[in-house]
Amino acid sequence: MIALGPLSFAAPWALVGLALLPAIWLLLRLMPPAPMRMGFPPIRLLMDLSTDQESTATSPLWLLLLRLLMAAALILGIAHPLLNASSMIRSQGPLILIIDDGWAAARDWPARQTMIGNLLDQAGRENRQVAVVTTAKISLKSARPAVEFMTAKNARDRVAPLQPKPWATDRKEALQPLLTSEDLLKSQPGHVIWLSDGLEEGGSAKLVTELRTLGAVTVISDPSSSAARLLRPPSPEEGVLVLEAVRPDQKGEETIRVRALATNGNLLAREDMVFKDGQKIAAARLELPVELRNRLERLIIEGQETAGSVVLADERWRVRPAGLLDPGGTDSSQPLLGSLYYLERALKPFTEVRRGTLSDLLGRQLAVLVLADPPLLKPEELDRISKWIKAGGVLLRFAGPRLAVKSDGLTPVDLRLGNRALGGAMSWDQPVTLAPFEDTSPFFGLKIPTGKTNEISIRRQLLAKPALDLADKTWVKLSDGTPLVTAAKQGDGWLILVHTTANTTWSNLALSGLFVEMLRKVVALSQGVTAGSGGPPLEPREILDGFGRLGPPPPDTLDIAAGTFSETIAEPEHPPGYYGDESSRRALNLSASLPVTAPFVTNVAGIDYQGYSEARERDLRPWLLGLVLGLALIDLIASLALRGLLNWKRVAGAAAVILMFAPGDEVNAQTRDEMALAASLETRLAYVLTGNPQVDRTSRAGLSGLSAMVNQRTAAVLGTPVGVDPEYDTLSFFPLLYWPVSLGQPALSPRAAAQVNAYLLGGGTILFDTRDQSGSGTGDIVTITRGLDIPPLRPAPADHVLRRSFYLMKEFPGRWTGDTVWVEIPGERVNDGVSSVIIGSHDWAGAWALNDAHQPLFPVVPGGEKQREWAFRFGINLVMYVLTGNYKADQVHLPAIMERLSR
Amino acid sequence: MSEMRSGGLHHKAEELAAGLPPLLIAAERVAATVSQGVHGRRRVGQGETFWQFRRYQTGDSAADIDWRQSAKSQPVYVRENEWEAAQSVWLWRDVSPSMAYRSSNNLPTKSDRADILLLALASLLVRGGERMSLLGSGRPPATGRAVLTRMAQTIESTSLQEERPADSLPPFELLPRHGRLVLFGDFLSPLMETKAALDPYVGRGLTGHLVQILDPAEETLPFDGRVQFQGPEREGDVLIGKVEAVRADYIAALSRHRDGLAAMARGAGWTFTTHHTDHAPESILLSLFLALTQGRSW
Repeated sequence: MIALGPLSFAAPWALVGLALLPAIWLLLRLMPPAPMRMGFPPIRLLMDLSTDQESTATSPLWLLLLRLLMAAALILGIAHPLLNASSMIRSQGPLILIIDDGWAAARDWPARQTMIGNLLDQAGRENRQVAVVTTAKISLKSARPAVEFMTAKNARDRVAPLQPKPWATDRKEALQPLLTSEDLLKSQPGHVIWLSDGLEEGGSAKLVTELRTLGAVTVISDPSSSAARLLRPPSPEEGVLVLEAVRPDQKGEETIRVRALATNGNLLAREDMVFKDGQKIAAARLELPVELRNRLERLIIEGQETAGSVVLADERWRVRPAGLLDPGGTDSSQPLLGSLYYLERALKPFTEVRRGTLSDLLGRQLAVLVLADPPLLKPEELDRISKWIKAGGVLLRFAGPRLAVKSDGLTPVDLRLGNRALGGAMSWDQPVTLAPFEDTSPFFGLKIPTGKTNEISIRRQLLAKPALDLADKTWVKLSDGTPLVTAAKQGDGWLILVHTTANTTWSNLALSGLFVEMLRKVVALSQGVTAGSGGPPLEPREILDGFGRLGPPPPDTLDIAAGTFSETIAEPEHPPGYYGDESSRRALNLSASLPVTAPFVTNVAGIDYQGYSEARERDLRPWLLGLVLGLALIDLIASLALRGLLNWKRVAGAAAVILMFAPGDEVNAQTRDEMALAASLETRLAYVLTGNPQVDRTSRAGLSGLSAMVNQRTAAVLGTPVGVDPEYDTLSFFPLLYWPVSLGQPALSPRAAAQVNAYLLGGGTILFDTRDQSGSGTGDIVTITRGLDIPPLRPAPADHVLRRSFYLMKEFPGRWTGDTVWVEIPGERVNDGVSSVIIGSHDWAGAWALNDAHQPLFPVVPGGEKQREWAFRFGINLVMYVLTGNYKADQVHLPAIMERLSR
Repeated sequence: MSEMRSGGLHHKAEELAAGLPPLLIAAERVAATVSQGVHGRRRVGQGETFWQFRRYQTGDSAADIDWRQSAKSQPVYVRENEWEAAQSVWLWRDVSPSMAYRSSNNLPTKSDRADILLLALASLLVRGGERMSLLGSGRPPATGRAVLTRMAQTIESTSLQEERPADSLPPFELLPRHGRLVLFGDFLSPLMETKAALDPYVGRGLTGHLVQILDPAEETLPFDGRVQFQGPEREGDVLIGKVEAVRADYIAALSRHRDGLAAMARGAGWTFTTHHTDHAPESILLSLFLALTQGRSW
């Protein structure tokens, strides 16, 4: 193999062919070209003539060069050129590949894959045998496969599905079969190439030295500055997560970034961690507000995609929410007297507090449910709460007047009805204070405030019936021995009762700092629910792969017992990830069990050390052969053209046909936009295009005249009217649609009918004008409105808004008068009282039609110009009606208006 | 006259135009240019155009006396009219594949030119009142515009056919003696075959006019280099290595062939002309028409 810089030739003997190129040139030049062919009628005269002379080759120069280039490319292609070919393998024997595929190898896995690919390509070219050994841990159940030699092709198949594993490597155990294999020791010494992940496991120097018995050894590893970094699980403290990261070497200062991500991948927080010079461990504090902390799912190191740089969060770091049952009503009007005010203030700093009804609260995950003497609970509610307690919830009840009257059974001890008043006007005793906490109580260690001003005094309490286990269930006693806080464990949860109120009506406990501490203890108690040692083994739910991505668990993953979860190490049997179901989800993290990393030993004598190469080997042969094919095609076309056999017209015609598909939609879209703009920037009236130019002209002139009148006489400003086609145009821009019904109009297509229906439904008004005075053309209007959703109609009553929306009118004349005008029956549709459909036969457009000089176009019968004025008044009424809705439909002035109308 | 209102005339004109094939229109255009130069026969005869007055001789019919002229002077004069003899003319053109050749797209094919020439000549003859027919159509000679239209349609339908008949020489038909025959073609067949085809007509006493239509490329052989020539009528292929070398020989051969044809025509008392497609058709038409109408005196 010859190499010229990055280019190398695998079959260099073919390059000899390049010497033949001048010969090819000469041949091409000397060969006479293909003759031109043509038909020639007086051929008989030519047949008798003969000549020995031959034309010299007159192939054009560029064609010769093209052919020469083709020949050169073919020769080069046969020589099999390669770009960036690997030549690392030395010696004659087999290639032994040792691949580190532990968690740290995920750091730069593509570079490793490129390296493996290059090495296997070279082995394939040189026909070497290849053995592949991987060093990640193997699960105890399966045995390591024996070392076998295979061809490079098989090795490629074996190596292709390799992925880094999310657990540590076990090199000693992995290399054992290699070092003890009989065949290897006897065979020709080969080349051992170890693609390491850069981290030391312990004893690597010894291993490497032992490998030298198999042949030359090359270790390829990343410099430790680019080796994998480890992120340890943080320890949660008060509102803050303390992070710790580990790097293999300790030279130089380095900053890494840690991201806190929520379940849906959103970034919650980012923190920088600095490795000081000479330090392998970096620490930082991550502060997160309560809400964000509860959404935390994982912490990752930016830029590293290994299983060791991902820490999964589980319930232990969550802030458990507490729910306060909202009694509703008066509680909100007098907050300080309400039962939940102090509870909320006390719980808010350290936990999430929710208020709501019982179903709201229990519908979500809840750690603590607080009942501060609510109104009587229904039996099914009580049932639900007790189920929830048994499943692991903590119910904290406070006493109160209601509980004193009637106990609902959801208490840890039996209660005596009635309460005991201490220190009131009617009692002999003084308000008592708390006795010191016993060591069996969860509150043991809390400081009871003393002193005159902040002493806790209980004025009223509920009493418990004496029972044998009352002493066991009591957590807090008063100084006279009566229980203040009793608790019973039910199932997995606790039922805790405080025998006084949560506000200040019965005691001043709620005002003290002890109250806050006690509540915190209760909430902390609920956290212990999920950390119970009993319970079923935790099944794998989602498992991290070698790159730190969560995915479904592989089939041979085992369950982990709940009791031993905290001591479990991430291994092939149970890789890191989430275990357990919804209620008891735990996270197993790899980095918890890894030791502090160290860099791979790189100074063993006699071992060759290299870094990972970047570029992938590229085979140029297919490109060159493709070039040859392309040039051959061009040559063919060129020769045909030169001989006159190519018909350019046909080629041009075919190209024209292909290119004929011009985009026409763009133009349509543009005109539609312009139309929409024009229609919506001004209020316009619209008329339906009937196809009859006379009718359309009249409609247009009529609506123009009406618009002019409206502009003159009213505050409304109308633009020029627009003709619309209900099939294609958007109708919703127009408040009023004038529809002249002419003879022989066809029915509407389904699409047009749908558009018109949508228009009517959306609040538009259509004025149907049959224009024939006596209504003899009803057949046409029926045809047109066949698919339309016309509401029920009635003749316009005497008090219809149309008669008084601007002018007071008795009749609605157009070119004719005297016929009924039909409007919608109100109450069927809510359209602000505006009738969607108005049908008449008076040919209003004809009456309104004015030419440019504002002269009327059509005569009006029988009233003449006076009737035309009334026709305009009707038009203005109509426009006002349509634009303003039921504004004029007020009933206040109706009697006066009716009286005026009847005059 | 009432029909000749604005609409009516236009309509009539369109109807008329619709009936004319475009070939005929082109031919008429050519003929119109030429007809400026058509004269009478300058002989006395049975025509309608006045020729001369001559004295009355015994034996003349009394109806021929022109009394007006006779009254002007003493002798009696008889009016003589020009001789406008209607003669039958048979026309033929070559429709073999060799006529479909043209050397460049700017020139018409030889058969197109032949068609134009034939129809133009027919149009001129119709104006002169001659009777004519297409050789091979089987119809007797007739005169009038209908003949012209029919002839044009026949020619067009033949030229639209895909398969061209392979005979490049006129078939023999029994024609009445002393008619006229006009043959358009390229006459590139061997001289013996041409002579064999034309001899029967010579024997019957018909006067013929041969018009050889050639493409200028056939005349000059303007090609270069290595060319393989293919005969359109399946004569075979000829590969010539260097066409420039044979050009002079070819031109000599062509002129020899042409001389042979001319000699053949002269010997039979016929005329022979050559026409090239890059020249205007009018140039040959006038001489042809004159040759037709002025032949031997009868």
